[in-house]
Formats: sequence, structure tokens, C-alpha cells
Amino acid sequence: MAARPTWTGTISFALLSVPIKLYSAQRSKDISFNQLERSTGARIKQRRVSSVTGEDVAGDDIVKGYDLGGDRYVIVEPDELDGLALRDTNNDKTVQILEFVSLDDIDPVYFEKAYYIAPDKGGARPYALLAKAMSETRKVAIGKVVMRTKEYLVAIRPLGNVLCMETLLYADEVVDPAEIDGLPDGTMEIAEKELAMAKMLVETSASESFDPSQYRDEYRAKVQELIEAKSMGTVYELPAPSEAPKVVDLMAALEASLAAAKAKKAS
Amino acid sequence: MPGESLTTDIEGRQLTLTNLDKVLYPDGTTKGQVIDYYVRIAPMMLPHLSGRNITMKRYPNGVNGQSFYNKNIPSHAPDWVQRVELHDNTYIVCRDLPTLVWMANLASLELHVPMHRAADDAWEPDRLVFDLDPGPGTGIAECCEVALLIAEVLTPLGMTMHAKTSGSKGMQLYASPPEPMTYRGDGGTTELAHRLADALAATHPDRIVSKQAKELRPGKVLIDWSQNVSAKTTVCAYSLRARPEPTVSTPLQWSEVEAGATGAPLQFLASEVLDRVAKSGDLFS
Repeated sequence: MAARPTWTGTISFALLSVPIKLYSAQRSKDISFNQLERSTGARIKQRRVSSVTGEDVAGDDIVKGYDLGGDRYVIVEPDELDGLALRDTNNDKTVQILEFVSLDDIDPVYFEKAYYIAPDKGGARPYALLAKAMSETRKVAIGKVVMRTKEYLVAIRPLGNVLCMETLLYADEVVDPAEIDGLPDGTMEIAEKELAMAKMLVETSASESFDPSQYRDEYRAKVQELIEAKSMGTVYELPAPSEAPKVVDLMAALEASLAAAKAKKAS
Repeated sequence: MPGESLTTDIEGRQLTLTNLDKVLYPDGTTKGQVIDYYVRIAPMMLPHLSGRNITMKRYPNGVNGQSFYNKNIPSHAPDWVQRVELHDNTYIVCRDLPTLVWMANLASLELHVPMHRAADDAWEPDRLVFDLDPGPGTGIAECCEVALLIAEVLTPLGMTMHAKTSGSKGMQLYASPPEPMTYRGDGGTTELAHRLADALAATHPDRIVSKQAKELRPGKVLIDWSQNVSAKTTVCAYSLRARPEPTVSTPLQWSEVEAGATGAPLQFLASEVLDRVAKSGDLFS
């Protein structure tokens, strides 16, 4: 992969310390569309207006409000949240390993997002050591890590010679089946004969192994074909926008990123 | 006497390839070998051409002969070559092998594409490009250093960064934004690239310039931000270049950019690029 790592840091476990880089293991292939006005092909813009006055509200005048119910809100300022946020600053870019469990102990419902772990400079040996030890003991490491401003629970597991990291949901983010009405409670009586028949049906459709490459997103392929066919016919050319679209956030982010790079250079 | 020619069927399209033994590069590389390179690299290159309106740079008499930029599709083009209207020109759009081979047969050594795809609505860019051009006394090592500086600023904005050699002296850095962008206006790619280039030139005045003026260039790398407009094009990944040898605009690993900054050579010939992709696949996806 030539993509840049999404995160760099260290796996820390007992006396072992492994410098690592994380790469996303998943990619979205969704096809996205823009909204256009049918008659002119002009892009649709969003405006932020006050629900009371109906007038445009400037970005600086928009604040975050937490809904207490009954039209009552608490206003929270950005720097108040910044004060609370965990930071993956240089002194805490660590995946702290807390325990080892069996992969079977983790229900798939907890898995969120997958990353491949690459050893960073000087990490090749401890990386290989950790991967081999985990694969021979058939264990998965559970750890915690702060990425950007959020603290994640993660599972690290060997995949051949490669270590793979999955972010996990916290227990309170997983819905308890008991909260949902109409899920079966296991009291249904089943006749032996019926069960034998159903089991036979399952067995006859069973595969040796699961091969995901035999499935593809047929709908996406059809949308792609439609787009390619249509792009050879009528293609909308946009009229020049009468006023420049405002994407102030990105420029502000650029300035912040430049300032951070400059500060790093100065230090 | 006419040169060697060959009529062939490629994916159901009949093509007559002409002058296959004509030498196009001083090192002896023939048009036949150029076509062969494009056929072999097609699986990697087509996704980068696909949907983008193409400007061909043609060298009918080889790299030392007269060359010309060809934007409008030639009138003799077969009717199956796809085309698209933009800026008063009718451009070629290449999505398949027959079109790529047909262009190579026109001695289009270099294929240049814009930052948008014609198939997208609105002709808006799906990425930014920074063309890093080493001034006198500098080379690709200095370009790699600048590439790392740019990546350091843009990666935190959620941009996916890719680097490739230009195949000539410098390199190009591409940044794919997480959200759709426009060329024009506040926060458009033109402005963003310009602001970034100016800011880095101001922070590193000893190493970087963001203006084209020749007298500013010695000893410094030019961050050319100006290709982020719909009418401009940049050489496509995997395109050959018209140099003394058949060099290629070659996608790089980030570890190669880091090694390049400390002086590792980064120039690849067509044959080496075919070996690279056989080993590592497309580094630009």
C-alpha cells in the first residue's frame, strides 16, 4: 500500500514495546452523488438559517447546544470540550495491552473498524515476537488506545505473519437483545423429525470454507454501468457559480495544520 | 518503404498498428515496444485515465523530433473511441485497452489528465496535485523533502496522500480530500493549494518557492500549485515520458519517498515499472 499510515505509535505490553504504524484495512466503494437543480444543473447549496427570524446565521454565531428536552438547551463552548478531550500527544501514543483472551470470546457484534499494523523503525523484531507468541498461544490482545481525541477499546490478533487491530464497541454501545420485543426466548417446542430435516437442508448447502470474493455488490455494479453509459450521452456542464461557494472550515483546518507543522519545526 | 505494420483484434476492436519498428527513443526503443509497454501496464493505468479527458503529447518522429499537444480527438478516430466535450474541445476519454493502444499507435508517448473525471457531475476535482519541480542545483531528493512537508500538513485534514515521480526531474504529490471539493471559490482546490504553497515557501524560504519566476528558482524546489484548475492537466500515473530513455511517471511507496529524501535514486524505466507492479500492484489506488 502506498497510502500514508492513519496513525503511528507504540504497542506496549510488559517489557515489550513495538513501534507501529496503522493502515486502514477497509475501503468504502460506495458511489456518491451530488445534488443538482434539474433545470440548470447547478449544485445545491445548504444555507443555515434561524428557525425564528428566517435569516442567515454566520458560522461564528453558531454554537453547540445539548437538548435537555422541552426546548431547553445547555450551550457548550468548543474550548470546554477541548479541555476534556484526550489527546494522542507524543507522550501518550500507546496501545496499552490490558489482557489476552480467545478470539471466540469476542462476539462479532463488537467489531467496528479494522486496521493492519505495520512495524515502524526498530519494531520488526518485537513485532514478529508478539505475533508469533500470540499465534502459538492462539490468543488475542485486548488494549486501549487514544486516536485523535477518542479513547478506543481494541483487539489485536495475528493474521498469518501480520497483526491486525480491530476497534471494539464498548459494552454500552451494543444493544441487549432483551431490549427488543419479539426476539425468541428459546421456549419453542420443535419436533425431532422436523429438526433432522432442517439440519439436513443446512448441511447440503454448507461450504468447505467462506470465500467472500465470490460475492459482489450487484447493485453498485449496475449503478456504475448506468453512470458510465450516461456519461457518454448527456453530461451536465456546470454554469459558473454566481458567487463562490464557502468552505471556510477546510481553509481554517489548513491554517491550523500549517501552524502545528510550524510549531513542530520550531521546537 | 513503409514500416512494419500489423492488424490486430483487441477486445473485439480491429486496429492497424503501424511503423512498429520505428525508433522513438535514442536508446533504441521502438514504437512497437512503446505499444507493448502500454498494453502491459493497462490494468494498472486504465483506472487512472478512466473518465478523465485526455491530452495526448505526440512524438511522431521520436523524442528528439517535433512534438505537439493533442487535445481535440483526431477526425480519423474510430467511432468506438469515447469522447467528451469540455472547454470547446472534444476530448478522448479512455476506459479500455483498445483506446489506450490506439493512442499509443499515434505515438502519444505522454498522456496528460486533469484533476476531475468527466463522468462525475460538475467537472469538479477529486484530488489536489502539487507538482514539485527542482530548480538548478536541486534534484528529486529535495522534492521528496518537500513532499513530506506537504503530507505532514494535509494528512491531518483527512487527505489521502500519494506520491509519484514525474518521470522527468521532479515528482508529483496528490491529495484526495475526504469530502468533495470544487476548483473555484473559497476553500476550493485552487485556493487551498496556493495558500499551502505560499505558506510553506514563507516557512522554508531557503528551500521552497511558490512562484514560477526563473530568478527565484536556483537551489530551491518550486511547489507548482497552478495545475489545480479544470483547464490544466498533469502527466498521468504510469505514462511514459519523452526523455533520452523511456522513463515512467512512477507511483512510489512512502518509504521510498523517505529514502529518496536522503538521496536514494528514484527514476524508473518502463521495464522496471512493469517489474514493480508485478511485485507490488498499483501503489496509486
